[in-house]
Amino acid sequence: MKKLKSRFSYSLILLFVLSGCSNNLNNSAESTDPFEGLNRNIFAFNKSLDQNILSPVSTAYVKTIPHSVRNSISNHLGWMNTPSTIVNSTLQMDLENTILASAKFMINGLSLGFYDFDNNETKIPKKDLGSTLAKLNVPEGPFLMVPFLGPKTVRDFTGTLSDRQNLSSISSNSVNNLSLLEVPVNLVDKRSKLAKNIENIYESPDPYTKMKSYYIQNRRKNVYGDKYFEIKNSKSDLEFEKLLQ
Amino acid sequence: MKNFYNSLNFKKVLCITFFLFLSFQFLTFKAYSDNIKNSEVIVLKMIADAKKHAQKTIKLSPKERSLKIEILIKQFINLDFMARATTGSFWKKATNTQKETYKNALLKQIVITIEEHLNTLATLSYKPLKSEARGKKLVYVKGIIKDDSKKIPDVNLLWKLAKDKKGNFLVLDLEIEGISLISSHKAETMSILRKNKGNFNALLDTYTKSD
Repeated sequence: MKKLKSRFSYSLILLFVLSGCSNNLNNSAESTDPFEGLNRNIFAFNKSLDQNILSPVSTAYVKTIPHSVRNSISNHLGWMNTPSTIVNSTLQMDLENTILASAKFMINGLSLGFYDFDNNETKIPKKDLGSTLAKLNVPEGPFLMVPFLGPKTVRDFTGTLSDRQNLSSISSNSVNNLSLLEVPVNLVDKRSKLAKNIENIYESPDPYTKMKSYYIQNRRKNVYGDKYFEIKNSKSDLEFEKLLQ
Repeated sequence: MKNFYNSLNFKKVLCITFFLFLSFQFLTFKAYSDNIKNSEVIVLKMIADAKKHAQKTIKLSPKERSLKIEILIKQFINLDFMARATTGSFWKKATNTQKETYKNALLKQIVITIEEHLNTLATLSYKPLKSEARGKKLVYVKGIIKDDSKKIPDVNLLWKLAKDKKGNFLVLDLEIEGISLISSHKAETMSILRKNKGNFNALLDTYTKSD
Protein backbone atom coordinates (compact mmCIF):
# COMPACT_ATOMS: atom_id res chain seq x y z
CA MET A 1 0.00 0.00 0.00
CA LYS A 2 2.90 2.29 0.92
CA LYS A 3 4.53 1.49 -2.41
CA LEU A 4 1.31 2.35 -4.25
CA LYS A 5 0.99 5.68 -2.47
CA SER A 6 4.60 6.69 -3.14
CA ARG A 7 4.34 5.77 -6.84
CA PHE A 8 1.13 7.71 -7.24
CA SER A 9 2.55 10.76 -5.48
CA TYR A 10 5.70 10.62 -7.66
CA SER A 11 3.51 10.60 -10.75
CA LEU A 12 1.52 13.59 -9.54
CA ILE A 13 4.69 15.52 -8.65
CA LEU A 14 6.06 14.77 -12.12
CA LEU A 15 2.81 15.96 -13.68
CA PHE A 16 2.71 19.26 -11.85
CA VAL A 17 6.41 20.00 -12.29
CA LEU A 18 6.36 19.30 -16.01
CA SER A 19 3.07 20.98 -16.79
CA GLY A 20 3.99 24.00 -14.70
CA CYS A 21 4.75 25.96 -17.84
CA SER A 22 1.66 24.67 -19.57
CA ASN A 23 -1.63 26.06 -20.70
CA ASN A 24 -5.28 25.29 -21.51
CA LEU A 25 -7.05 23.88 -24.59
CA ASN A 26 -7.05 27.12 -26.56
CA ASN A 27 -3.35 27.83 -26.17
CA SER A 28 -1.96 24.41 -26.40
CA ALA A 29 0.64 21.71 -26.92
CA GLU A 30 0.03 22.09 -30.67
CA SER A 31 1.40 25.61 -30.93
CA THR A 32 4.13 25.47 -28.27
CA ASP A 33 6.81 22.80 -28.21
CA PRO A 34 9.52 23.62 -25.63
CA PHE A 35 11.18 20.20 -25.98
CA GLU A 36 11.16 20.18 -29.80
CA GLY A 37 14.89 19.45 -30.23
CA LEU A 38 14.86 16.52 -27.81
CA ASN A 39 11.50 15.30 -29.15
CA ARG A 40 12.83 15.23 -32.73
CA ASN A 41 15.84 13.13 -31.66
CA ILE A 42 13.60 10.66 -29.85
CA PHE A 43 11.28 10.60 -32.88
CA ALA A 44 14.25 9.67 -35.10
CA PHE A 45 15.19 6.91 -32.62
CA ASN A 46 11.62 5.56 -32.49
CA LYS A 47 11.37 5.73 -36.28
CA SER A 48 14.52 3.67 -36.84
CA LEU A 49 13.37 1.18 -34.20
CA ASP A 50 10.01 0.98 -35.93
CA GLN A 51 11.40 0.58 -39.44
CA ASN A 52 14.03 -2.00 -38.45
CA ILE A 53 12.16 -4.11 -35.92
CA LEU A 54 8.49 -3.32 -35.38
CA SER A 55 7.43 -2.87 -39.00
CA PRO A 56 8.92 -6.16 -40.32
CA VAL A 57 7.54 -8.05 -37.30
CA SER A 58 4.05 -6.57 -37.72
CA THR A 59 4.10 -7.28 -41.48
CA ALA A 60 5.00 -10.91 -40.75
CA TYR A 61 2.30 -10.98 -38.05
CA VAL A 62 -0.35 -9.86 -40.55
CA LYS A 63 0.88 -12.27 -43.24
CA THR A 64 1.19 -15.39 -41.10
CA ILE A 65 -1.61 -15.06 -38.55
CA PRO A 66 -5.21 -15.29 -39.83
CA HIS A 67 -7.52 -12.31 -39.35
CA SER A 68 -9.80 -14.14 -36.89
CA VAL A 69 -6.85 -15.00 -34.60
CA ARG A 70 -5.52 -11.42 -34.76
CA ASN A 71 -8.99 -10.21 -33.92
CA SER A 72 -9.10 -12.48 -30.85
CA ILE A 73 -5.71 -11.18 -29.70
CA SER A 74 -6.93 -7.58 -30.15
CA ASN A 75 -10.07 -8.39 -28.16
CA HIS A 76 -8.00 -9.89 -25.35
CA LEU A 77 -5.66 -6.88 -25.21
CA GLY A 78 -8.63 -4.54 -25.09
CA TRP A 79 -10.23 -6.64 -22.35
CA MET A 80 -7.03 -6.46 -20.26
CA ASN A 81 -7.29 -2.66 -20.32
CA THR A 82 -10.97 -2.52 -19.36
CA PRO A 83 -10.34 -2.23 -15.55
CA SER A 84 -8.63 1.12 -16.24
CA THR A 85 -11.74 2.28 -18.16
CA ILE A 86 -14.01 1.13 -15.31
CA VAL A 87 -11.98 2.93 -12.62
CA ASN A 88 -11.59 6.14 -14.63
CA SER A 89 -15.23 6.21 -15.78
CA THR A 90 -16.19 6.00 -12.09
CA LEU A 91 -13.78 8.82 -11.24
CA GLN A 92 -15.28 10.88 -14.08
CA MET A 93 -18.82 10.17 -12.77
CA ASP A 94 -19.69 8.56 -16.11
CA LEU A 95 -22.13 6.00 -14.72
CA GLU A 96 -23.27 4.68 -18.11
CA ASN A 97 -19.72 3.92 -19.22
CA THR A 98 -18.88 2.33 -15.86
CA ILE A 99 -21.86 -0.03 -16.04
CA LEU A 100 -21.33 -0.91 -19.71
CA ALA A 101 -17.58 -1.48 -19.32
CA SER A 102 -18.09 -3.59 -16.15
CA ALA A 103 -20.78 -5.71 -17.83
CA LYS A 104 -18.66 -6.25 -20.92
CA PHE A 105 -15.60 -7.06 -18.80
CA MET A 106 -17.48 -9.72 -16.81
CA ILE A 107 -19.23 -11.31 -19.81
CA ASN A 108 -16.13 -11.39 -22.02
CA GLY A 109 -14.13 -12.60 -19.00
CA LEU A 110 -15.70 -16.03 -19.61
CA SER A 111 -13.31 -16.35 -22.57
CA LEU A 112 -10.52 -14.26 -20.96
CA GLY A 113 -11.53 -11.56 -23.41
CA PHE A 114 -10.47 -13.51 -26.50
CA TYR A 115 -14.04 -13.68 -27.76
CA ASP A 116 -16.26 -10.60 -27.83
CA PHE A 117 -19.78 -11.83 -27.03
CA ASP A 118 -21.14 -8.40 -27.95
CA ASN A 119 -19.47 -8.55 -31.40
CA ASN A 120 -18.23 -4.96 -30.91
CA GLU A 121 -21.79 -3.63 -31.18
CA THR A 122 -21.62 -1.55 -27.98
CA LYS A 123 -19.14 1.27 -28.31
CA ILE A 124 -17.47 1.90 -24.96
CA PRO A 125 -15.09 4.90 -25.01
CA LYS A 126 -11.73 4.07 -23.43
CA LYS A 127 -10.94 6.14 -20.33
CA ASP A 128 -7.54 6.49 -18.70
CA LEU A 129 -6.07 8.63 -15.97
CA GLY A 130 -5.05 11.20 -18.61
CA SER A 131 -8.71 11.76 -19.51
CA THR A 132 -9.67 11.89 -15.81
CA LEU A 133 -7.05 14.59 -15.24
CA ALA A 134 -8.43 16.46 -18.27
CA LYS A 135 -11.92 16.35 -16.73
CA LEU A 136 -10.38 17.87 -13.58
CA ASN A 137 -9.12 20.73 -15.78
CA VAL A 138 -5.46 19.73 -15.45
CA PRO A 139 -3.74 21.33 -18.47
CA GLU A 140 -2.39 18.96 -21.12
CA GLY A 141 1.12 20.41 -20.85
CA PRO A 142 3.82 20.37 -23.50
CA PHE A 143 4.09 17.70 -26.16
CA LEU A 144 6.48 14.80 -25.46
CA MET A 145 7.92 12.13 -27.71
CA VAL A 146 8.57 9.17 -25.42
CA PRO A 147 11.10 6.46 -26.35
CA PHE A 148 9.29 3.21 -27.33
CA LEU A 149 5.86 4.64 -26.43
CA GLY A 150 5.65 7.39 -29.05
CA PRO A 151 3.72 10.68 -28.87
CA LYS A 152 2.16 11.88 -25.59
CA THR A 153 1.47 15.09 -23.72
CA VAL A 154 2.82 15.52 -20.18
CA ARG A 155 -0.64 14.95 -18.74
CA ASP A 156 -1.29 11.82 -20.76
CA PHE A 157 2.17 10.40 -20.13
CA THR A 158 1.67 10.84 -16.38
CA GLY A 159 -1.73 9.19 -16.74
CA THR A 160 -0.27 6.24 -18.65
CA LEU A 161 2.46 5.70 -16.04
CA SER A 162 0.05 5.97 -13.12
CA ASP A 163 -2.52 3.67 -14.75
CA ARG A 164 0.11 1.00 -15.33
CA GLN A 165 1.67 1.30 -11.86
CA ASN A 166 -1.64 1.40 -10.02
CA LEU A 167 -3.01 -1.64 -11.84
CA SER A 168 0.20 -3.60 -11.27
CA SER A 169 0.06 -2.73 -7.55
CA ILE A 170 -3.50 -4.04 -7.29
CA SER A 171 -3.15 -7.22 -9.40
CA SER A 172 -1.31 -10.43 -8.55
CA ASN A 173 2.23 -11.32 -9.68
CA SER A 174 1.09 -13.79 -12.35
CA VAL A 175 -1.20 -11.15 -13.90
CA ASN A 176 1.68 -8.66 -13.82
CA ASN A 177 3.98 -11.09 -15.62
CA LEU A 178 1.29 -11.76 -18.21
CA SER A 179 0.72 -8.05 -18.84
CA LEU A 180 4.50 -7.54 -19.22
CA LEU A 181 4.52 -10.28 -21.85
CA GLU A 182 1.65 -8.58 -23.58
CA VAL A 183 3.46 -5.24 -24.06
CA PRO A 184 5.33 -6.32 -27.23
CA VAL A 185 2.25 -8.14 -28.55
CA ASN A 186 0.22 -4.98 -28.00
CA LEU A 187 2.85 -2.92 -29.87
CA VAL A 188 2.85 -5.30 -32.84
CA ASP A 189 -0.97 -5.45 -32.88
CA LYS A 190 -1.30 -1.64 -32.83
CA ARG A 191 1.43 -1.23 -35.46
CA SER A 192 -0.33 -3.64 -37.81
CA LYS A 193 -3.59 -1.69 -37.49
CA LEU A 194 -1.97 1.69 -38.06
CA ALA A 195 0.45 0.56 -40.80
CA LYS A 196 -1.03 2.75 -43.56
CA ASN A 197 -1.23 5.87 -41.38
CA ILE A 198 2.35 5.44 -40.15
CA GLU A 199 3.67 5.01 -43.70
CA ASN A 200 1.71 8.11 -44.72
CA ILE A 201 3.36 10.08 -41.88
CA TYR A 202 6.87 8.89 -42.82
CA GLU A 203 6.34 9.96 -46.44
CA SER A 204 5.37 13.53 -45.53
CA PRO A 205 7.85 16.46 -45.68
CA ASP A 206 7.93 16.89 -41.87
CA PRO A 207 6.94 13.55 -40.30
CA TYR A 208 7.51 14.73 -36.70
CA THR A 209 5.08 17.66 -36.98
CA LYS A 210 2.53 15.53 -38.81
CA MET A 211 2.62 12.84 -36.11
CA LYS A 212 2.33 15.48 -33.39
CA SER A 213 -0.68 17.09 -35.09
CA TYR A 214 -2.44 13.74 -35.67
CA TYR A 215 -1.81 12.67 -32.07
CA ILE A 216 -3.03 15.90 -30.46
CA GLN A 217 -6.18 16.13 -32.60
CA ASN A 218 -7.06 12.47 -32.00
CA ARG A 219 -6.33 12.62 -28.28
CA ARG A 220 -8.45 15.75 -27.78
CA LYS A 221 -11.32 14.18 -29.70
CA ASN A 222 -11.20 11.15 -27.38
CA VAL A 223 -10.86 13.20 -24.19
CA TYR A 224 -13.17 16.18 -24.79
CA GLY A 225 -15.56 14.82 -27.47
CA ASP A 226 -18.21 17.25 -28.74
CA LYS A 227 -16.92 20.15 -26.61
CA TYR A 228 -13.59 20.03 -28.43
CA PHE A 229 -15.28 19.86 -31.85
CA GLU A 230 -17.38 22.93 -31.08
CA ILE A 231 -14.35 25.01 -30.00
CA LYS A 232 -12.19 23.77 -32.87
CA ASN A 233 -14.83 24.16 -35.57
CA SER A 234 -16.03 27.62 -34.56
CA LYS A 235 -12.40 28.76 -34.71
CA SER A 236 -11.79 27.13 -38.10
CA ASP A 237 -15.15 28.43 -39.46
CA LEU A 238 -14.02 31.99 -38.82
CA GLU A 239 -10.68 31.36 -40.53
CA PHE A 240 -12.37 29.68 -43.50
CA GLU A 241 -14.94 32.49 -43.93
CA LYS A 242 -12.14 35.04 -43.89
CA LEU A 243 -10.22 33.12 -46.58
CA LEU A 244 -13.35 32.74 -48.72
CA GLN A 245 -13.93 36.49 -48.92
CA MET B 1 -60.72 61.06 -39.84
CA LYS B 2 -57.04 61.97 -40.26
CA ASN B 3 -56.19 59.65 -37.42
CA PHE B 4 -58.09 56.85 -39.13
CA TYR B 5 -56.04 57.30 -42.37
CA ASN B 6 -52.86 57.51 -40.43
CA SER B 7 -53.65 54.26 -38.63
CA LEU B 8 -54.62 52.59 -41.95
CA ASN B 9 -51.28 53.55 -43.51
CA PHE B 10 -49.48 52.36 -40.46
CA LYS B 11 -51.28 49.00 -40.68
CA LYS B 12 -50.35 48.73 -44.38
CA VAL B 13 -46.71 49.48 -43.68
CA LEU B 14 -46.75 46.95 -40.85
CA CYS B 15 -48.31 44.28 -43.09
CA ILE B 16 -45.85 44.91 -45.94
CA THR B 17 -42.89 44.84 -43.56
CA PHE B 18 -44.14 41.60 -42.03
CA PHE B 19 -44.68 40.10 -45.50
CA LEU B 20 -41.20 41.15 -46.62
CA PHE B 21 -39.70 39.73 -43.43
CA LEU B 22 -41.46 36.39 -43.99
CA SER B 23 -40.36 36.27 -47.65
CA PHE B 24 -36.78 37.05 -46.66
CA GLN B 25 -36.84 34.33 -43.99
CA PHE B 26 -38.31 31.85 -46.48
CA LEU B 27 -35.72 32.69 -49.15
CA THR B 28 -32.85 32.47 -46.67
CA PHE B 29 -34.11 29.14 -45.37
CA LYS B 30 -34.53 27.87 -48.94
CA ALA B 31 -31.02 29.05 -49.84
CA TYR B 32 -29.56 27.25 -46.80
CA SER B 33 -31.44 24.02 -47.50
CA ASP B 34 -30.42 24.21 -51.18
CA ASN B 35 -26.80 24.65 -50.11
CA ILE B 36 -27.01 21.59 -47.86
CA LYS B 37 -28.66 19.52 -50.60
CA ASN B 38 -26.09 20.56 -53.23
CA SER B 39 -23.20 19.81 -50.88
CA GLU B 40 -24.58 16.36 -50.07
CA VAL B 41 -24.98 15.62 -53.79
CA ILE B 42 -21.37 16.66 -54.45
CA VAL B 43 -20.01 14.36 -51.71
CA LEU B 44 -22.10 11.41 -52.90
CA LYS B 45 -21.06 12.01 -56.52
CA MET B 46 -17.40 12.24 -55.52
CA ILE B 47 -17.52 8.92 -53.65
CA ALA B 48 -19.42 7.18 -56.47
CA ASP B 49 -16.94 8.52 -59.05
CA ALA B 50 -13.96 7.42 -56.93
CA LYS B 51 -15.39 3.90 -56.61
CA LYS B 52 -16.02 3.70 -60.37
CA HIS B 53 -12.54 5.07 -60.99
CA ALA B 54 -10.95 2.44 -58.69
CA GLN B 55 -12.53 -0.35 -60.72
CA LYS B 56 -11.87 1.18 -64.15
CA THR B 57 -8.21 2.10 -63.65
CA ILE B 58 -7.04 -1.08 -61.92
CA LYS B 59 -5.22 -2.28 -65.07
CA LEU B 60 -3.51 1.04 -65.84
CA SER B 61 0.11 1.83 -65.01
CA PRO B 62 0.66 3.72 -61.69
CA LYS B 63 1.53 6.93 -63.58
CA GLU B 64 -1.59 6.84 -65.73
CA ARG B 65 -3.71 5.99 -62.71
CA SER B 66 -2.32 8.97 -60.75
CA LEU B 67 -3.05 11.27 -63.67
CA LYS B 68 -6.66 10.10 -63.85
CA ILE B 69 -7.13 10.56 -60.09
CA GLU B 70 -5.67 14.05 -60.37
CA ILE B 71 -8.27 15.00 -63.00
CA LEU B 72 -11.05 13.51 -60.88
CA ILE B 73 -9.97 15.22 -57.66
CA LYS B 74 -9.60 18.64 -59.29
CA GLN B 75 -13.34 18.65 -60.05
CA PHE B 76 -14.30 18.37 -56.39
CA ILE B 77 -11.74 20.28 -54.30
CA ASN B 78 -10.98 23.96 -53.93
CA LEU B 79 -7.21 23.67 -54.38
CA ASP B 80 -6.65 27.42 -54.29
CA PHE B 81 -8.36 27.68 -50.90
CA MET B 82 -6.47 24.68 -49.52
CA ALA B 83 -3.13 26.17 -50.60
CA ARG B 84 -3.94 29.49 -48.89
CA ALA B 85 -5.32 27.80 -45.76
CA THR B 86 -2.24 25.64 -45.27
CA THR B 87 0.35 28.39 -45.66
CA GLY B 88 -1.26 31.14 -43.54
CA SER B 89 0.25 34.60 -43.79
CA PHE B 90 3.21 33.29 -45.84
CA TRP B 91 0.94 32.84 -48.89
CA LYS B 92 0.88 36.57 -49.60
CA LYS B 93 4.67 36.77 -49.66
CA ALA B 94 5.04 33.97 -52.24
CA THR B 95 5.50 34.72 -55.94
CA ASN B 96 2.99 33.47 -58.53
CA THR B 97 5.37 30.73 -59.70
CA GLN B 98 5.95 29.58 -56.10
CA LYS B 99 2.19 29.55 -55.51
CA GLU B 100 1.57 27.38 -58.58
CA THR B 101 4.41 24.99 -57.68
CA TYR B 102 3.06 24.67 -54.14
CA LYS B 103 -0.47 23.99 -55.43
CA ASN B 104 0.86 21.19 -57.65
CA ALA B 105 2.84 19.72 -54.75
CA LEU B 106 -0.24 19.84 -52.53
CA LEU B 107 -2.36 18.17 -55.20
CA LYS B 108 0.27 15.46 -55.53
CA GLN B 109 0.12 14.84 -51.76
CA ILE B 110 -3.69 14.54 -51.90
CA VAL B 111 -3.47 12.16 -54.87
CA ILE B 112 -0.93 9.95 -53.02
CA THR B 113 -3.21 9.81 -49.95
CA ILE B 114 -6.23 8.88 -52.07
CA GLU B 115 -4.30 6.28 -54.08
CA GLU B 116 -3.36 4.50 -50.85
CA HIS B 117 -7.01 4.05 -49.90
CA LEU B 118 -8.57 3.67 -53.36
CA ASN B 119 -8.39 -0.11 -53.57
CA THR B 120 -9.99 -0.62 -50.16
CA LEU B 121 -12.78 1.85 -51.02
CA ALA B 122 -14.40 -0.60 -53.45
CA THR B 123 -15.26 -3.01 -50.63
CA LEU B 124 -16.61 -0.32 -48.27
CA SER B 125 -19.97 1.45 -48.17
CA TYR B 126 -20.62 5.13 -47.44
CA LYS B 127 -23.64 6.16 -45.40
CA PRO B 128 -24.54 9.89 -45.26
CA LEU B 129 -25.38 11.28 -41.80
CA LYS B 130 -26.57 14.72 -40.67
CA SER B 131 -25.52 17.84 -42.64
CA GLU B 132 -25.61 21.42 -41.40
CA ALA B 133 -25.09 24.96 -42.66
CA ARG B 134 -22.37 26.82 -40.73
CA GLY B 135 -22.48 30.58 -41.07
CA LYS B 136 -23.24 32.15 -44.43
CA LYS B 137 -20.95 30.12 -46.64
CA LEU B 138 -19.93 26.83 -45.10
CA VAL B 139 -21.72 23.51 -45.13
CA TYR B 140 -20.72 20.47 -43.06
CA VAL B 141 -21.59 17.09 -44.54
CA LYS B 142 -21.20 14.16 -42.16
CA GLY B 143 -20.96 10.52 -43.15
CA ILE B 144 -19.66 7.17 -42.08
CA ILE B 145 -17.65 4.54 -43.93
CA LYS B 146 -18.65 1.00 -43.08
CA ASP B 147 -17.03 -2.31 -43.83
CA ASP B 148 -19.76 -4.93 -44.16
CA SER B 149 -17.31 -7.74 -43.42
CA LYS B 150 -16.45 -5.88 -40.16
CA LYS B 151 -12.70 -6.31 -40.73
CA ILE B 152 -12.20 -2.54 -40.56
CA PRO B 153 -13.91 -0.45 -37.83
CA ASP B 154 -16.36 2.29 -38.89
CA VAL B 155 -14.75 5.59 -39.91
CA ASN B 156 -16.51 8.91 -39.27
CA LEU B 157 -16.04 11.57 -41.93
CA LEU B 158 -16.82 15.27 -41.99
CA TRP B 159 -16.60 17.20 -45.25
CA LYS B 160 -16.44 20.99 -45.20
CA LEU B 161 -17.74 22.59 -48.38
CA ALA B 162 -18.40 26.09 -49.74
CA LYS B 163 -19.31 27.70 -53.05
CA ASP B 164 -16.44 28.90 -55.23
CA LYS B 165 -16.53 32.06 -57.35
CA LYS B 166 -18.36 30.21 -60.14
CA GLY B 167 -21.07 29.05 -57.71
CA ASN B 168 -20.00 25.37 -57.58
CA PHE B 169 -19.77 23.62 -54.23
CA LEU B 170 -16.24 22.37 -53.60
CA VAL B 171 -14.55 20.54 -50.72
CA LEU B 172 -12.39 22.74 -48.46
CA ASP B 173 -11.41 20.24 -45.79
CA LEU B 174 -11.97 16.66 -44.72
CA GLU B 175 -11.95 15.44 -41.12
CA ILE B 176 -11.31 11.73 -40.67
CA GLU B 177 -12.25 10.62 -37.14
CA GLY B 178 -11.87 14.22 -36.00
CA ILE B 179 -8.47 14.75 -37.62
CA SER B 180 -8.58 17.69 -39.99
CA LEU B 181 -6.38 17.29 -43.04
CA ILE B 182 -6.03 21.07 -43.42
CA SER B 183 -4.99 21.50 -39.75
CA SER B 184 -2.35 18.78 -39.88
CA HIS B 185 -1.02 19.95 -43.24
CA LYS B 186 -0.95 23.55 -42.02
CA ALA B 187 1.00 22.54 -38.88
CA GLU B 188 3.53 20.86 -41.12
CA THR B 189 4.00 23.66 -43.67
CA MET B 190 4.09 26.38 -41.00
CA SER B 191 6.76 24.49 -39.09
CA ILE B 192 8.93 24.23 -42.25
CA LEU B 193 8.31 27.87 -43.22
CA ARG B 194 9.07 29.21 -39.72
CA LYS B 195 12.25 27.17 -39.52
CA ASN B 196 13.37 28.63 -42.87
CA LYS B 197 12.32 32.19 -42.00
CA GLY B 198 9.43 32.21 -44.47
CA ASN B 199 11.50 31.04 -47.43
CA PHE B 200 8.91 29.48 -49.75
CA ASN B 201 11.56 27.79 -51.90
CA ALA B 202 12.76 25.86 -48.86
CA LEU B 203 9.21 24.56 -48.40
CA LEU B 204 9.02 23.54 -52.05
CA ASP B 205 12.40 21.80 -51.74
CA THR B 206 11.12 19.59 -48.90
CA TYR B 207 8.28 18.48 -51.17
CA THR B 208 10.60 17.54 -54.01
CA LYS B 209 12.85 15.70 -51.51
CA SER B 210 9.93 13.73 -50.06
CA ASP B 211 8.87 12.71 -53.61
